[in-house]
Amino acid sequence: MAKKIKAVDFLLDIHTEPFPARFVPPALDQLKLNAGKWLEGKIDHGEISVSGTLRHLILTVKAVAPKGNEKTERFKGPKAGAPAPAVEGFARKYGVEPGALIAESGILYAEVRTEAQAAGALFQMMIPELLKSLQFPKFMTWEETGFKFGRPLRAITALLGDKVVPVAIAGVKSGRSVYAHPVLSKAPATLKDPSRHAALLRQGLVICDPDERRGYLLKALDQATKPTGGKVEQDDELIDETVFMVEHPVPVLGKLRDAHMVLPAALLKMVMKKQLKFFPVVTCDGTLHPYFVGVRDGLSTGNELVREGYQRVLEARFNDAAFFVGRDSASTLDGKRALLDRVTYQKALGSMAQKAARVEALAAWIGERLRQNSPVDEMTVSRAAKLVYADLVTDVVKEFPELQGHMGGVYARKDGEGEKVALAIEQFYYPVAAKSPVPATAEGAVVSLAGKLDSLAGCFAAGLIPSGSADPYALRRQALGLIRIVLEKQLPLDVEEAIAHAISLQPVAVPEPAKLAAQLCDFVWGRAQSLFEDLKFAVDEVRAIRAGALKNFPTAFLRLSALRAVRRDPAFEPLAAAFKRAANILKQAKVESGLAPDRARLREQADYDLYDALVVAEGAANDRIVRGDFEGGLKTLVSVKPHLDQFFEKVMVMAEDEGLKNQRLALLSKLVRAFRRVADLSEIQPAAS
Amino acid sequence: MTFQEIVLELQNFWSRQGCAIVQPYDLEKGAGTFNPATFFGALTAAPARFAYIEPCRRPADGRYGENPNRLGKYYQFQVIMKPVPAGITDTYQKSLKAIGLDPKKHDLRWIEDDWESPTLGASGVGWEVWLDGMEITQFTYFQQMGSMPLSPVSVELTYGLERIAMYLQNKNSVYDLDYGGGLTYGDLHKPQERELSRYSFETADVALLSRHFNEWEAEGARLAGFGDPIPAYECVMRASHLFNTLEARGAISVTERAHYIGRIRNLSRKVMELYIEKNAPKQEAA
Repeated sequence: MAKKIKAVDFLLDIHTEPFPARFVPPALDQLKLNAGKWLEGKIDHGEISVSGTLRHLILTVKAVAPKGNEKTERFKGPKAGAPAPAVEGFARKYGVEPGALIAESGILYAEVRTEAQAAGALFQMMIPELLKSLQFPKFMTWEETGFKFGRPLRAITALLGDKVVPVAIAGVKSGRSVYAHPVLSKAPATLKDPSRHAALLRQGLVICDPDERRGYLLKALDQATKPTGGKVEQDDELIDETVFMVEHPVPVLGKLRDAHMVLPAALLKMVMKKQLKFFPVVTCDGTLHPYFVGVRDGLSTGNELVREGYQRVLEARFNDAAFFVGRDSASTLDGKRALLDRVTYQKALGSMAQKAARVEALAAWIGERLRQNSPVDEMTVSRAAKLVYADLVTDVVKEFPELQGHMGGVYARKDGEGEKVALAIEQFYYPVAAKSPVPATAEGAVVSLAGKLDSLAGCFAAGLIPSGSADPYALRRQALGLIRIVLEKQLPLDVEEAIAHAISLQPVAVPEPAKLAAQLCDFVWGRAQSLFEDLKFAVDEVRAIRAGALKNFPTAFLRLSALRAVRRDPAFEPLAAAFKRAANILKQAKVESGLAPDRARLREQADYDLYDALVVAEGAANDRIVRGDFEGGLKTLVSVKPHLDQFFEKVMVMAEDEGLKNQRLALLSKLVRAFRRVADLSEIQPAAS
Repeated sequence: MTFQEIVLELQNFWSRQGCAIVQPYDLEKGAGTFNPATFFGALTAAPARFAYIEPCRRPADGRYGENPNRLGKYYQFQVIMKPVPAGITDTYQKSLKAIGLDPKKHDLRWIEDDWESPTLGASGVGWEVWLDGMEITQFTYFQQMGSMPLSPVSVELTYGLERIAMYLQNKNSVYDLDYGGGLTYGDLHKPQERELSRYSFETADVALLSRHFNEWEAEGARLAGFGDPIPAYECVMRASHLFNTLEARGAISVTERAHYIGRIRNLSRKVMELYIEKNAPKQEAA
């Protein structure tokens, strides 16, 4: 083998007009993945890495071999002994001598060797294919060739070692020029070899590595807010966006006017974040400070002018917001309800006024169901349910839909509604994200549940069932919210019954309501499964508690936790296997459930032992279960294991004597029933050993 | 810099970039895009380089001259270039410098903002440009007109003149702007804003406007039959403005709205097809 020539690095910098921030991270992921796939098997190389900004997508491939790999391909031909012209024709097609064909199992093959290509030639082929392989949320064209990309290409820097890899795409020829910050850097810099690339960009005020830019931004935000004694409000989404909105982040601290601080804080924050991408400054307990930070793309000199500009724009936006609040305050929420008539919820499901009436009825129904075990203040529920959608017709919510609920709460307090009512309205849409809180009060929870149940039942009844990634009514989120509320508020609500009731309230004809209810229950259960899996429960454990879970979710969670805890007992899995055997026997014998064995009619010692052990364990388990101690209950039941093993070893369940067989089946049925109060152990998969 | 000096500077700047400085088109329109220099300019393969100031009417945005930031009639400065010159974003930055906004001293941001005109069946990809958080320009690469893909693509720049002037002159109300010639923007525009707001919201004759809408729509279709796209397009402009006025007047329900838009779009598509047929370079018969 020839002596290895030194490997070199490859660099590709795709310089474009500004991408939307959301385009960049997925594009960088694809760049890395697709480059790896393309190069695989073709050439030896070291680490592949990417970095980038809103104007640069950068790929680096370390330690590229000077030449690609040789390749030998085999092509199938005619049968050995085929007429000579056919054989010769085949050989000619692949450029080999007829004598060089290889015969194997009576078939001729041509073996074609491709010479190793130079690395430069390979990369020259790769670059255009790589660019074409990138998928953007939206494509555009801008020049004569009609090349489609996320934003117009400005330049391509492509170097293998110190040599340019020549390509031309969409009228742009590759070269060694590096274009740094479009405003702050002067002429393009010249790149001698890939190792200097990041440094050249850095000199031109572009921090190209997203992680470095994020670190720089976070530190600078901390410094900028130091004089205020506060911090920017934690908002990962806005940080992520900012990292891909600026190439050289420079925070500029500005001040809010006192006159604006009387507006609802959530509204002020929304204006800052959504309309201007500013970071609100908050004190350590989360209250809004009269400051904000805007992140400038550029230098930290001359910030006074920028600060003035920021403050002026913010002021104009706050004036608009104040104008909206003023208009909204001209009438009460109660008065605004009448306008919901004119707001369509969904064609088949009627207006928002109709939805509001359904939610009110459903909330009352839930309150009544809970009266026994966890009573709520029904007056509060009823009042909050009445007003809960009224803020949808306010100017503020029309302008900032994210403030729905929140503004309802603000206006309810202004109207003199009770604090409990206002809070229930404010938190109606809770939880708004996977980790965010559920409504704080039981009353708020009931109204919120009613809203979610109605949306789910309505959309299912109208045939708007989510499929794949399409979920325009956010039903998955609503189902998850529903589960989290009953679970976290410990509400013993029979969700199956509630779903059936919610379906019965819908204004569309449902031909088979029971079937639709079952379908919706499965959908809700699907969310529950993913919630439990997020909590690190095993898939089979979750399946084992499915029966009856929706009828009482807090209990289902206790059963699941008990199962996970008891599973660690070494006796558990063999027991689960024995349980499965018992369940299978019952299934095959088609035994009706609920059979009770009669001890006197059993026969062998093993029969009696199992019977006695089961009666004792069941009684003790029951004492624990009614106290909510499912773990203790399950542990107690597991204690029958040796007796069950003996039983299977010593006796034939399917005895010739029909009476005895039935007694043994009844005994197993009793056993299965006892366990199923906690979990169906036949779902448990043995751990792979 | 007075309002008129900003306009003059922009005209001079884009003139130096090879644009023809054309004049506003003498019919009412909702946006500078409706000027035939842009509307027809974007349609065919022939090169187009135009810049112009254009008064725009948005009847629903009128505020009786009482809101310092909102106007029912205002100006846009519009640039259209096809094919798109290399480095157009850099050229745009230079134009800001020409009117006294040095990008180095400000925070200049390009925020995703795709454009769509349902009545023209047109859409584009681009940005709004923020100067210290304030939107000062719409920057769009046209992708479709009359629901047809465009090739070659044009780039359209729309400067918000009043906002830029307010920034440069440090004024909080548009009416306080120094227009030039010893006048304020308010001297020239406030009576108009007051009276036209009253017209759009209160006194316009709905029956007459709807009748005229129907008539101009029919006339446009009739004129297209004669093979001349320009007079037919003028009907599109008129119908489109009548629709905007009817909407401001609160005379169009949500369901009717989509219907009206569809009617204008159909007519404008007809006009576009006609224009392309008439002006596309013809293949020599073999």
